Amino acid sequence: MADETFDLAACLQRVRARDQIAARELVEHLYPLVIRIVRSHLPRRVAEEDLAQEIFLKMFTRLDQYKGAVAFSHWVSRIAVTTCIDQLRAQKRRPEFRWADLSEKEADVLDAVLTSEGEVAVNDSLAARELVYKLLGQLKPDDRLVLQLLDLEQHSVAEISTRTGWNPSLVKVRAFRARVKLKKLFEELQRKERS
Amino acid sequence: MNDFDSRWARLVAAARGAPAPADVAAPYGFAVRVAARAWADDRPTLQGLFGRFALRALWVACLLMLASVAVDYFYLRTGSQDEYATESLYDPVSEVLNSSS
Repeated sequence: MADETFDLAACLQRVRARDQIAARELVEHLYPLVIRIVRSHLPRRVAEEDLAQEIFLKMFTRLDQYKGAVAFSHWVSRIAVTTCIDQLRAQKRRPEFRWADLSEKEADVLDAVLTSEGEVAVNDSLAARELVYKLLGQLKPDDRLVLQLLDLEQHSVAEISTRTGWNPSLVKVRAFRARVKLKKLFEELQRKERS
Repeated sequence: MNDFDSRWARLVAAARGAPAPADVAAPYGFAVRVAARAWADDRPTLQGLFGRFALRALWVACLLMLASVAVDYFYLRTGSQDEYATESLYDPVSEVLNSSS
């Protein structure tokens, strides 16, 4: 998506006319966007390239349905998000969250969050992000998605609604329920404490 | 919930501080492979053909049904309903019974 000079409208027109070169250009143009979404929602044991390929194939199959009501990148994002969610739903079992499975840094961050009121150290931000993904991984796919978009990526309810196709009320309800589940997980972790 | 909210907020704020992963280009050959598969998958499948023609077939079936009802109705209205009642049918069984008695 870094290429500002890319003429998307012309490219789409050529793709609709079955131009293979245009199709390749479109894939190359959208790859950074798609892979970013795939990596942030990546279901366990699914290779990111396979998932990205599935998303692009869906995009080509449904291209005739794109009427230009929303930006093309939004439309593709929606396909990417729903494909990832479908993959996550297919993997019904989620591994149990245990202190022992955390890295030293992740355990330190969790310890700091659970026991003190201070901020997490800046140099622990990568560990904090990994920890957030692991905690979100304990939730159902829809709950995980809504908290990731709302809290971690700081999208508005309206943006999430556009991206997922859920109405704003549903987004709020899902976020509330997801936070309740996460709260229970926090309480459980606090009870178990770090061994 | 407040206690949890502040903890969660601190954790995600720290997570947001992590550097965003750099944009990556598509691996070599990825775009070619995807584009080729996109067109390859474009061949009509049995399911696709069924979806394409099922609705048209339904319309044709409805038209045929209406036409057959209309023809039948017309046939009944023109008095052909007495055809079987008035026609004298040859009954070989009664012929045999009559001749033997």
